[in-house]
Amino acid sequence: MAKAGARAPILELAGVTAGYGEIQVLWGIDMRVRAGEITALIGSNGAGKTTLMRTLSGLLPVRSGTYRAAGIDLSAARAETILRAGIVHVPEGRRLFGAMSVEDNLLMGAYLRRGGRGEIGRDLDRVFHIFPKLYERRTQAAATLSGGEQQMCAIGRGLMSAPTLLMIDELSLGLSPLLVEQLVAALRQLNAEGVSILLVEQDVTIALDLSHSAFVMDMGRIVRSGVSSELLSDPIIRDAYLGVIED
Amino acid sequence: MLAAQVLINALVLGCLYACIAIGFSLVWGVLNVINLAHGSFIVLGAYGAWWLYHAFGIAPWYALAIVAPLFFVFGYAIQRSILNQVIAAPVLVTLTMTFGLDLLLNNVMIYFFTADFRKLTLSPPVGSLSFGGVVVPVDRLIALVLALALTFALYVILRRSRTGRAIVAVRLDRDAATLMGVDVKSIYAIAFGIGAVMAGCAGVLMALIFPISPLVSTAYLTKAFVVCVLGGLGSVSGALAGGLLLALIEGVGSVLFGPALATTLSFVLLIVFLVVRPQGLMGRKGFE
Repeated sequence: MAKAGARAPILELAGVTAGYGEIQVLWGIDMRVRAGEITALIGSNGAGKTTLMRTLSGLLPVRSGTYRAAGIDLSAARAETILRAGIVHVPEGRRLFGAMSVEDNLLMGAYLRRGGRGEIGRDLDRVFHIFPKLYERRTQAAATLSGGEQQMCAIGRGLMSAPTLLMIDELSLGLSPLLVEQLVAALRQLNAEGVSILLVEQDVTIALDLSHSAFVMDMGRIVRSGVSSELLSDPIIRDAYLGVIED
Repeated sequence: MLAAQVLINALVLGCLYACIAIGFSLVWGVLNVINLAHGSFIVLGAYGAWWLYHAFGIAPWYALAIVAPLFFVFGYAIQRSILNQVIAAPVLVTLTMTFGLDLLLNNVMIYFFTADFRKLTLSPPVGSLSFGGVVVPVDRLIALVLALALTFALYVILRRSRTGRAIVAVRLDRDAATLMGVDVKSIYAIAFGIGAVMAGCAGVLMALIFPISPLVSTAYLTKAFVVCVLGGLGSVSGALAGGLLLALIEGVGSVLFGPALATTLSFVLLIVFLVVRPQGLMGRKGFE
């Protein structure tokens, strides 16, 4: 995908705070996510990763600070506007529409697009090409899919929104290693086709192996960031998140 | 012969009950709002049919085409201007709101139309058909066909259209629907509008058969409620099943125990269902 200034940040957060009611979860997030990359967001449970994702997709409002995507200010934007800007959120736990068919779930992803049947049909074919399993099960209710197929359907639904940045919350949770491998391969292929990816992943080895750069969150703040391969060999990261005991 | 007559009556009435209940069920399922004004919407639709016929000579089956868009605008506006303001509040708040709306609407109708019963009488009368001793009045047959057509139309809209999919998606998972770019409040207003259309159209069809008065609104509301409990909330097929079951119970009950006890029987069944099978005959998640 030819982009002017491919290194311009696709996400740029400065001092972003957010939370639920009286409880503040994010305490000033600063981060720059580069276009064209796979970026990982790691951290322990309760660090605020999912809250950050919900804020980025507009499910939660930004309370203070600025949130820009490819130069557009989205600090006060609604979910719809953010989606139109190409920021697409595949939520934790898939959140498929269980009683609807796989194909209808995918079409829901294209809800905002006015491209007409041709364009949406082409994207549907593309998703079926990436995940042939979904084609086999296209008329089945999404709730009847296995966990891995549900994750494929959720990612496929995200792709139907024509993302420039695909944010995936918990890619591998509850899936077999073989399935995770397939999904990782699919994400690599998507990234090669020009889709930037922001990945929240509890398996830090997978996250750092797959991504170009990574951010580490703790207590609602970004506490570390850098090139993934360097973070992978960082003793503090290894100690805190990989459970490796150094000799 | 009696059995055949009871069955055919139940079929006609059952489809009308389904039509009464379907909008109520949609609004309850998608918005989690129990619309207590639903019965008054139905009566208003019936008055619409009566007025269009007596003032302009427009037959009820054509009146549907006028009533439907008006009720959509009416329902959409109510949701946008009033109910959306309190939609996030506990269900008691929206319940009280629709209760107030019902009082208002009902008394306005009593003011304008009085509480006297009036009947839409087609002239010349359309007569009746008889199949080997089973008599079916043609007006009832027309009501049956139109009720089925309306039900089927709603089913197709929910299953096949972009907006229909969004309505189902909001019902299933509001947050996920928001992530798809669905404007939930606007979908609420559309769903409430469709609920009002179904109520108004059901009223038009009821006007073909039954006398009209603001006083019957409660009876319609309770029918809608019973159908939803019997059939299960949240599906077109459930409303149809619940409507047919209710009509069958009332029909068979009135033959066996007399008409006075038939309604009681349906409420006994309501309680039994609430205890034994609260999800209804076809109840499950998702409006299809």
